[in-house]
Amino acid sequence: MPEDTAVEVRDARKVYGQGAGAVTALDGVSLGIRKSEFFTLLGPSGCGKTTLLKLIAGFESPTTGQILLHGSDITFDPPNLRPVNTVFQSYALFPHLSVADNIGFGLKMQGRPKSEISETVTRMLALVRLDAMADRKPGQLSGGQQQRVALARALAPSPKVLLLDEPLSALDLQLRKEMQIELKRLQIETGITFVFVTHDQEEALTMSDRIGVMQSGHLLQVGDPRTIYTRPANRFVASFIGESNFLTGTVDGNVFTLDAGPRMEVGQTDGAPATGKVTAAIRPEQIRITSATLGDGIPATVTQTVYFGTDTHCRVALADGTEITVRLQSPASGDVGLHPGSEVTLKFEPGALILLPKAA
Amino acid sequence: MADRSFDIARLPGFATIAVTIFVLLYLPIAMLVIFSFNAGDNVAIWEGFSLRWYPEAWANEAVKQATWRSLQIATCAAIIATTVATMAALGTTRRRQTRGQSFVYLMINQPLMVPEIVTAVALLIFFSSIKVATGYQGLGYLILAHAAFCIPFAYLPIRARLEGMDLSLETASADLYATRWQTFRHVTLPLVMPGAIAGLMLAFVTSLDDVVITLFVKSAGQDTLPTYMLAQIRRSVSAEVNAISTLLLLLTVVLLTAFFLLTRKRT
Amino acid sequence: MSADPQVTAAARRGWWLSAPALVLLAVGATGPLLIMLVYSFLEPGQYGNVEWALSFKAWFNVVMQRDIFDGTLTFADAHLSIFWRSAKLALLTTLFAFLTGFPTAWFIATRSPGLRTALLFLITIPFWTNLLIRTFAINQIIRNEGFLNTFLLWTGIIDTPIVMLYTDFAVFIGMTYVYLPLMVLPLFAAIDRFDMRLLQAGYDLYASRWQLLRHVIVPVVKPGIISGSILVFIPALGAYVTPRILGGGRNMMIGNFIELQFGQGRNWPLGAALSVVLLVVVSLALIVYTRFATGSEGKSHG
Repeated sequence: MPEDTAVEVRDARKVYGQGAGAVTALDGVSLGIRKSEFFTLLGPSGCGKTTLLKLIAGFESPTTGQILLHGSDITFDPPNLRPVNTVFQSYALFPHLSVADNIGFGLKMQGRPKSEISETVTRMLALVRLDAMADRKPGQLSGGQQQRVALARALAPSPKVLLLDEPLSALDLQLRKEMQIELKRLQIETGITFVFVTHDQEEALTMSDRIGVMQSGHLLQVGDPRTIYTRPANRFVASFIGESNFLTGTVDGNVFTLDAGPRMEVGQTDGAPATGKVTAAIRPEQIRITSATLGDGIPATVTQTVYFGTDTHCRVALADGTEITVRLQSPASGDVGLHPGSEVTLKFEPGALILLPKAA
Repeated sequence: MADRSFDIARLPGFATIAVTIFVLLYLPIAMLVIFSFNAGDNVAIWEGFSLRWYPEAWANEAVKQATWRSLQIATCAAIIATTVATMAALGTTRRRQTRGQSFVYLMINQPLMVPEIVTAVALLIFFSSIKVATGYQGLGYLILAHAAFCIPFAYLPIRARLEGMDLSLETASADLYATRWQTFRHVTLPLVMPGAIAGLMLAFVTSLDDVVITLFVKSAGQDTLPTYMLAQIRRSVSAEVNAISTLLLLLTVVLLTAFFLLTRKRT
Repeated sequence: MSADPQVTAAARRGWWLSAPALVLLAVGATGPLLIMLVYSFLEPGQYGNVEWALSFKAWFNVVMQRDIFDGTLTFADAHLSIFWRSAKLALLTTLFAFLTGFPTAWFIATRSPGLRTALLFLITIPFWTNLLIRTFAINQIIRNEGFLNTFLLWTGIIDTPIVMLYTDFAVFIGMTYVYLPLMVLPLFAAIDRFDMRLLQAGYDLYASRWQLLRHVIVPVVKPGIISGSILVFIPALGAYVTPRILGGGRNMMIGNFIELQFGQGRNWPLGAALSVVLLVVVSLALIVYTRFATGSEGKSHG
């Protein structure tokens, strides 16, 4: 195992219930999270990301498999003996304790001296900019403030890893944006490993050093945001993170022949077969559209245009009936000059087309 | 009325009936209280204001002893009932429903479902043989019986409190290095406390008010305030009973008001 | 390996925590009921208590009696009339409590939040107030030289006091008075959950107020009506204090009759058997209630 790994998950399986009613929440997940990185587990609800988080926190044990923290096996350690803290989705602030007592709770339970506790609490209050709120009860705080108390409380005992379970989902949009920046700042300032769980792809892309995409108990792809977006490993990742059009065709070396007719060069082909039938993905904003029907490119017919303000989405049909979406920047007049029935030609850079491996 | 808009919730005659009911509900109690301050011995003809019945009742040795006994039983029974009910509530709430749990619910609610007279008779039969066998005649039987029927009253507010509690609080506590005992001591117990105090008060009031079970379980010379009053009401009507009733009423209202305030502050 | 060791451990801890309450209830409530059942099959002792000999006489005596002189078997008229009176009074009490309690609950539920809390509190106080005191208050009002008669005599409406105390009527009024809060509280809970927009929909579809009451309100709040009725009917059927104070010696209900077997009657087995009968009737009412309540719940979800 590499020296810089904070958390290592080895072939973790988690099955709830027994017999016919058993539900597999995690189906053999292996993962290494590096020290001091902002790692995000991204996936739709029910994909197993929260279960994985609970295994790391110690609220549940895996049915099979191992969890290692800084190289030592913690698979069956109870949560109160793990140097790992959680920011809960509901915050779970103790309603009967003041903000300061909430933040100091972990240190108090560890039996640290009073002076150290009060010193740390003061530092934490400053870190999350709540110095004036020390004596308030959680009930007297706004949602954003409660969120910060939850963060400070989890950071106060200086955990080796901080787990965040969709912590921003209860906040409104404006506050969510602010907290995204705040979280990133805290992560850099403290240098603590953050493991962040979310179903919001934008949140994942803007904050993370690396993202792990999950679906149905499987870890599909791990990579930095740019790789995940530009080189999705499969159809699910391509459609879950950002929008994608899917085109089917045949590949031969680096030439891709669309089922709809036209052939073109492709950039990367890693993971995809060198020959045979494949599916290719292309992002709507990577496609250019011209009203001319001449020259090379893919001929298509506009079926619908939808105005979105900055963008205009244009649905077009290819010769074989495949419908794809093209995203155009709206011009100053607001009218892209395309109407249902317009004959157009679609063009894109060779590197924009992503050949996907066959679905297993 | 200036507002002539159509009130959808109004049903004709309902308000009249409701107001009449409220008046009728309080009129007898009000009369009872008023006549406890009557100078005369009559409970229907007002003969002037006087406080004479209060000291007179208190001068009565039987009243004094019955009061003391009632308070003793109610205090012990309420504390026992609340303690075991808190434990049971911790054991039955916030976990997956099982068959065993329905059984516990059924047992705990049993005193609410069985008519008091039936329980009273059953206890009379049971305790009378124990009294013969052991020779013990003390207040223990009454305390035990009262504690048993007070359990559901103590249990309900505690359970309500626990069910309203965020489960993740205990998880958060464990995450923050608290042992199981520390979690109970610093998180669960302080949060359950208002429910437990509410339960304690309801149990106390319930025990204090009991007539039927006490009547069957008590040994000779173990009158509580309610059984003493029952005997008095049969014999003669003296405003002394009005005075005792008024004081008991006052105690109930005070405890209930406290209970109300305690359970309402549950934000 | 079992998938849920944590769940199993939690369930075991739950049992241990419930154990003290269960033991206390077993000794102070449930267990004695079983002993009582045993006693109903024994011979009565000469000075109370029992002789330990198997006998079905008590159960036989619940409904039949043997004439002391000629030994002929007849129905125990006295017992049957007590059963009948108890059932009649309990049902009348339930019905009247519903007729007055429903408008009261509706009235409370349709007030402003502040007033609603206050009114609810006003209903709760009598509920927790000593039953004996409330019955005694009624006693003072309706006795011959009581407040009501004194007042009516003073106004000249009557010239001899109306005899109300120690009649079935007095018991009926008294029980309605003491058990009314038990009807109002569950009715209120049901009406409180009632979606008032249903009324708007009803009026929109040409229903009159009474049609709405009959076709919308009552069916929707039915679970509350059933709860309230059960809560009133059960204690009314087993009432002891109210009939004792307002009904006097002759107008006994089953509760008083049971007590008599342990006092002057000196027939503990008969008292035990009668108690078992009462318990069975109440249990049947509860079973019917659970069926009803869960049944209508299911329907409202479906």
